[in-house]
Amino acid sequence: MTEVVIAGYKRSAFQLANKGAFTKTRSDDMLAEVVKALIAETGVDASLIEDLAVGCAFPEAEQGFNIGRIVGQLAGLPQSVAGVTVNRFCGSSMQTIHDAAAKIMAGAGEAYIAAGVESMTRVPMGGFNPMPNPGLAAQSAAYISMGETAENVGKKHNIARVAQEEFALKSHQKAAAAQAAGKFDAEIVTIGDVKTDGGIRGDASLEAMAGLKPAFDANGTVTAATSSPVTDGASAVLVCSLNFAKKHNLKPLAKIKSFAVSGCAPEVMGLGPVSATHKALERAGLKLSDIDIIELNEAFAAQSLGVIKELDLPVDKINIDGGAIALGHPLGASGARITGKAASLLQRENKKYALATMCIGGGQGIATILERI
Amino acid sequence: MTKPIQKVAVIGAGVMGAAIAAHMANAGIPVHLLDIVKDPEDRNKVAREAVEKMLKTSPAPFMHPKNAKLVTVGNIEDDLSVLKDVDWVIEAIIERLDIKHDLYAKITKNRGADTIISSNTSTIPLHKLIEGQDKDFQSHFLITHFFNPPRYMRLLEIVTGDKTKSGIADRVGQFGDVVLGKGVVHCKDTAGFIANRLGVFWMTTAINAAFDQKITVEEADALLSKPIGVPKTGVFGLVDLVGLDLMPHLSKSLLDNLPKDDAYRSAYRDIPLINKLIADGYTGRKGKGGFYRLNTDGGKKQKEALDLQSGDYKPEKKAELAAGDAGRKGLRAVLTHPDKYGEYVHSVMIPSLHYAASLVPQIADDIISVDSAMQMGFNWKFGPFEMIDQLGVDWFIEQCEKLSLPIHDLLQKAKGQSFYKTENGVLHFFGTDGKHHPVKRAEGVLLLSDIKRAGTPVAKNGSASIWDIGDGVLCVEFHSKMNAIDTDIFAQLQKATQLIGDGKGNYKALVIHNEADNFSVGANIGLALFALNVGLFGQIEELVEAGQKTYSMLQYAPFPVVAAPAGMALGGGCEVLLHADVVMAHAELYMGLVEVGVGLIPGWGGCTELLFRHKAKAGPKSGPMVAPIKAFETISVAKTSTSAAEAFDLLYLRDGVDRVVMNKDRLLFDAKQKALELAKDYAPPVKDRTIALPGPSGKAAMMLAVGDFQKKGAATLYDGVVSEALADVLSGGKDADATVPVDEDFVLKQERTSFNKLVRNEGTLNRIQHMLDNGKPLRN
Repeated sequence: MTEVVIAGYKRSAFQLANKGAFTKTRSDDMLAEVVKALIAETGVDASLIEDLAVGCAFPEAEQGFNIGRIVGQLAGLPQSVAGVTVNRFCGSSMQTIHDAAAKIMAGAGEAYIAAGVESMTRVPMGGFNPMPNPGLAAQSAAYISMGETAENVGKKHNIARVAQEEFALKSHQKAAAAQAAGKFDAEIVTIGDVKTDGGIRGDASLEAMAGLKPAFDANGTVTAATSSPVTDGASAVLVCSLNFAKKHNLKPLAKIKSFAVSGCAPEVMGLGPVSATHKALERAGLKLSDIDIIELNEAFAAQSLGVIKELDLPVDKINIDGGAIALGHPLGASGARITGKAASLLQRENKKYALATMCIGGGQGIATILERI
Repeated sequence: MTKPIQKVAVIGAGVMGAAIAAHMANAGIPVHLLDIVKDPEDRNKVAREAVEKMLKTSPAPFMHPKNAKLVTVGNIEDDLSVLKDVDWVIEAIIERLDIKHDLYAKITKNRGADTIISSNTSTIPLHKLIEGQDKDFQSHFLITHFFNPPRYMRLLEIVTGDKTKSGIADRVGQFGDVVLGKGVVHCKDTAGFIANRLGVFWMTTAINAAFDQKITVEEADALLSKPIGVPKTGVFGLVDLVGLDLMPHLSKSLLDNLPKDDAYRSAYRDIPLINKLIADGYTGRKGKGGFYRLNTDGGKKQKEALDLQSGDYKPEKKAELAAGDAGRKGLRAVLTHPDKYGEYVHSVMIPSLHYAASLVPQIADDIISVDSAMQMGFNWKFGPFEMIDQLGVDWFIEQCEKLSLPIHDLLQKAKGQSFYKTENGVLHFFGTDGKHHPVKRAEGVLLLSDIKRAGTPVAKNGSASIWDIGDGVLCVEFHSKMNAIDTDIFAQLQKATQLIGDGKGNYKALVIHNEADNFSVGANIGLALFALNVGLFGQIEELVEAGQKTYSMLQYAPFPVVAAPAGMALGGGCEVLLHADVVMAHAELYMGLVEVGVGLIPGWGGCTELLFRHKAKAGPKSGPMVAPIKAFETISVAKTSTSAAEAFDLLYLRDGVDRVVMNKDRLLFDAKQKALELAKDYAPPVKDRTIALPGPSGKAAMMLAVGDFQKKGAATLYDGVVSEALADVLSGGKDADATVPVDEDFVLKQERTSFNKLVRNEGTLNRIQHMLDNGKPLRN
């Protein structure tokens, strides 16, 4: 089968929604800058790109009108490059990578831009016209709030509040260290004058976290500090066949070894990565012990710890530059970020296999396994 | 024609200076706020931090956070050049003459030709301030004494000197009145001006007498408050509020500047206990406490009061005194109450009122200035001379004589008369010439109280009256208890509508206005509870329908309806405003659909009106959930505006339609003018609004959100029931669908159905009962 690689990864700085530097920036403008930078940096001939796929969890208003096509035009891509919007909530832009890989494997094109964006400031979670199916809403947890699912995972696995806070603190400390060491510089595209992530708190402390009220359940354990913040951001990767990369002198970061999605109960959507990871590992013919680098999207600390427990993940391999609790989780953009990040970490850390996985609202998981080239 | 004041600079970003600048911004006036450079790297730090702090202060100095953008911060080293472009410079720096003089020299170098300069001093006489200044400076200088907090305290004392150019005081006074909404009182250049001079005398006398007569702090405050028409802080609570440490400053400046024989000198006493409190950091509410404190030792909050005799704090003991209750029978009943408490009030009030009576014309040209200053500067319900009238001038003189107080000229002349009287329907005041003169209102001021004094109502019942306010305009005045809305109010609104008819006869427009502190606190829930307790659901259903019909009648009347509210306009009081053609809102308008607090939803068109307003704002192409969700967010948590400016954000007021009036005394005049303007070629709104509502899908979304709120503890169990009833209205209910637009009658019917469902619930009855008993919502 055609071998598919990730040959470039860029993202915007991630900024807190409603107060950060991107509150006045449209999603499409933000992503267009990232796509332009990705093309410029990889040196790919844009006219050879089949499609620009944009993951977005709430594709309406400024994120509507098939934002995939809109961003292509804003970024100055040739008219021949198509554009599509993909929605799998938090897994949206990882899905764009899967779609690109599958199509390349099927012989439908050689190069894709797989991207994602979310302005959680300008299009709120739930969108402007939330109209759930009343029958389903009455009898199932299909529309359950994300915070509540985190509480459920926490309860299921007896995850103490302090354990969540320690996990969150670690995320901030790792991200702050990475930021200080300039480890994000290569991936972040400067937009306006914004070139650093806004949510990282190197000064976070367990004492301050302990003082917060539960954010979702008065008797619960999940707080704002142990949840990923609502965030504005964009990300993109270049996905192409290995042959295409070689032919056009691109620098592939990693090979896409396998991928999978899987459904689970909406009440514990945070555990979605468990079955998705099992499926992806099996498809790759690998064991968890073969994996050197893990990017696990930190929707919530309780959720991450639940996944770590169920999969028995080695903690020191996870999110070595920090995760979404510190960096933020702009829904549609996170999947391409963690997959692109995992690919570049394989290079930087000189490791063989990486796993990128995330949970998805409504009860799903998605996973990708990469192999360094 | 004098040049209007359009741009102002305030120098000194302390509590007063900053808050004065904030109030300029509230009035829409761009203002520079300058202070010294404390940090050479961050030169505007002092002023900037003052603005930042004000955005977090409660009660808020800004009427809307966006007003902060009108304040340009700077410093007096780099930015004095801005003074040449401003019309008025207000100095509000430290009360030190040498420092003020240094600053005045700098202002002189930088100010424009016509720039007015004023000081906000409360302790330094004007003649000392202008000493050594050049002539032009002197002629453009005056004192403008704002009261703290400037947004909320109405009094603005203006002091001019011999050298102040004519017209300057009027220019500032007119601006203070119309633009800033202040009650301007012209004072003479004497120590403490009017309010502080009399207020400090009163407080000093009251405190000393409490020590001498062994009256407790709680007792003194229970007596010298509501029973005599003074705010509930009384005396000791007031000192805690303004700060114990301020008192020595005020007394020192008075002692430094008052005439040798002034009565304050003998009233003044240095009280070691108070000095000790200040030294120990007990400076009042801003410090560790004062005469009262909140003891939080052991995790419990216990309000304590100082025992004046021992100097120890003891748990507060609310005083319930017969002498206080006597206040219902009038001021004299309190002062003559036959116990030590009556004697206490007598020993405080007779000398204090006597002091005021002895100071006209020394401190002000007339008694109105003195009364206004105490009413607006200390929030007294009645001024000193009004109080003397209540006591009876002759009786008052007798009491003064018993205390061997000298009877000064003005009192002598007033013997056998009263300080105020109504002649030919016009209020007259007693002048220093011994004659009564008509009270003149400023141009643009129309007071309902003057109209009421002059005539009889066109119609009247227990809850509302209809007044003819001239030029073919009728005014409906609510006067039920707390102006609660009831069927009698509906009756008068209907009656006025009948009287005006098609607007082409004797009358052409309607104004809804009253002069109470609060326009209306909502429906009369006491009456409703009574009906519900005896199962008269039919009566409640009729009441709901009657309210909808009455308000709708106002909305679509063939003549203009202008409402002119101030203070609180809640629940049904808010809903009546939502149905006026135009609301002329006093800047301090606290508007809210607060029905959920008593387990109800707005049933007199409030839900409907807010829903259509949000739809109009979002536009016809907005999705079916946009307007319902916004209205739901506002009504389900009873959002209430903290100013008229904020009411626009909540769509309780409409941009481009409703207006803000800064001065409460100008509300009725402006409302009447607006009504007359609208009456020319008036065309009533056409009742043809439709809206596409989301139906059950929308309700599902709202209830999911409510569930999340309940889980996180932000909503109670019964909030869920009330919210569901609200969701049934705003989503359109089970039969609505986004493809089938409905009209406002449909939504009004949903309102009635939901309302009538809620009143049958125990949870709602418990909420109403609790509100009536405790004045607070029940969180069931």
